[in-house]
Amino acid sequence: MKERIREILEEALPLVDLDSDFLFKELDSLGVATILLKLSEEYSIKLDAKDATPKNLKSLDSLEAMVKSKLEK
Amino acid sequence: MRLVDYLHRNAELYPEKAAAICGGEKITWRELSEKVLERSASFRKGQVVPFRSSQSIDFLVTYFAIHQAGAVAAPLEKDIPENRFQEISGILTSSIVPEGTADILYTTGTTGKSKGVMISHRTIIADAENLIEGQGFSHDLLFIISGPLNHIGSLSKIFPVTMQGATLYILEGMKDLEKFFEALDYPAKKVATFFVPATTRMLLMFSGERLPKYTEKIDFIESGAAPLAHSDMLRLCEVLPKTRLYNTYASTETGIISTYNFNDGECIPGCLGRPMSHSRIIITEEGKISCQGDTLMSGYVNDPDLTATILKDNTIYTSDIGELDQYGRLHLKGRESDVINVGGFKVSPAEVEDAAMAFPGVKDCICIGTPHPITGTALKLLVMMEAGATLDKQALAKFLKGKLEIFKVPLQYKQEEEIKRTYNGKLDRKYYNSQKI
Repeated sequence: MKERIREILEEALPLVDLDSDFLFKELDSLGVATILLKLSEEYSIKLDAKDATPKNLKSLDSLEAMVKSKLEK
Repeated sequence: MRLVDYLHRNAELYPEKAAAICGGEKITWRELSEKVLERSASFRKGQVVPFRSSQSIDFLVTYFAIHQAGAVAAPLEKDIPENRFQEISGILTSSIVPEGTADILYTTGTTGKSKGVMISHRTIIADAENLIEGQGFSHDLLFIISGPLNHIGSLSKIFPVTMQGATLYILEGMKDLEKFFEALDYPAKKVATFFVPATTRMLLMFSGERLPKYTEKIDFIESGAAPLAHSDMLRLCEVLPKTRLYNTYASTETGIISTYNFNDGECIPGCLGRPMSHSRIIITEEGKISCQGDTLMSGYVNDPDLTATILKDNTIYTSDIGELDQYGRLHLKGRESDVINVGGFKVSPAEVEDAAMAFPGVKDCICIGTPHPITGTALKLLVMMEAGATLDKQALAKFLKGKLEIFKVPLQYKQEEEIKRTYNGKLDRKYYNSQKI
């Protein structure tokens, strides 16, 4: 799943270094919104502003964990 | 009176009232006035002062201190690449500007490249009065600014807030929507804000269900810089039934011209309301919008020829196509220009193409607008490479980031076999615009 997330985000956000130690810091508001939108489309999950925390958007691993926890609900 | 004089008046009338709140920091009108007087010693009369903008109280201190000293403020993009900052600074510091100039604001002019728009102190006061009268900025208002303060959309809100002795709440963008809700929860009688269409879309998409409880508190929201999708207008009316929702016609060159509260039961798309008290709108024979009044720019800095192409006889001739209805309301019908509006930021495709042509292996390219779910329109670069070369999208994006302001860097890239040009060698923009790529 992590590689699929990387693929989607590389396409949508070509300027963002997805391997950054702290991904959230790399993003602007459009970047955050794009991640929420792309992941909710790809995995048919509902994501809202409350999910866009620095903790959830820290790295590809934390994004994967967020998607998995949503899918379990 | 200049805007900075109102600031000192506020310090006398409401010394302990908050002038601005930002990142947990608060400054009163008295403290702001003192800091401005102190900082103003760093500038001299007539000097043009380029500086990087920031979402901070310090921006306000610098901006007003420059005016206090009789100097000219030239706030530039926060992330502007250093070489561009130096280039613009070099030009500006040797420029001679007309008496009464307050600001030089950089924008992508109707003709393409970035241009310094000169705004006078009188223009600032006229914009402030237009907004106070047209939208009801009041003394007890908390105005939330989330957009960049070097952009007229956000900067212009400092004008009526200062004139009314109200309070600004400055946010560092809308990356963390929770911070926006914290601002809404700040103890204030009324709040108001300004959004570009992308912000409205984001808020509706990810937090729409939280907005209705604020409809009593949110006095008004202004939308500007690019047309808001009608579906988003309707949705906003639904979630904020008691809030005034404005679509405004404004630009750096024309100033704040007209506004329309679309939460009026009709919610007319494209309607931008009647001209405000300092403004007049005339539709030319070709159907284009032209504007008159005290809110107009004084011209482009160092470029009288370019100024003369749009500013004649105290009238600005835009490339926007519009109509006035029987009630005198302006309706926007389109734009006759190559400029692409990305979430409220104007981008000249030629500037992006010029930068991309310098990337190794690029033989030809064209920058076009493509639909985007959040910003409405995003930039896409179609690239033709030298024989045998393959486009490295990320490397090109990073290369462009080093040369251009961030909003001018395309989000999408595609390698093409060839780029179509017209018979006289110009890029065939019409062809690509009609392709809906």
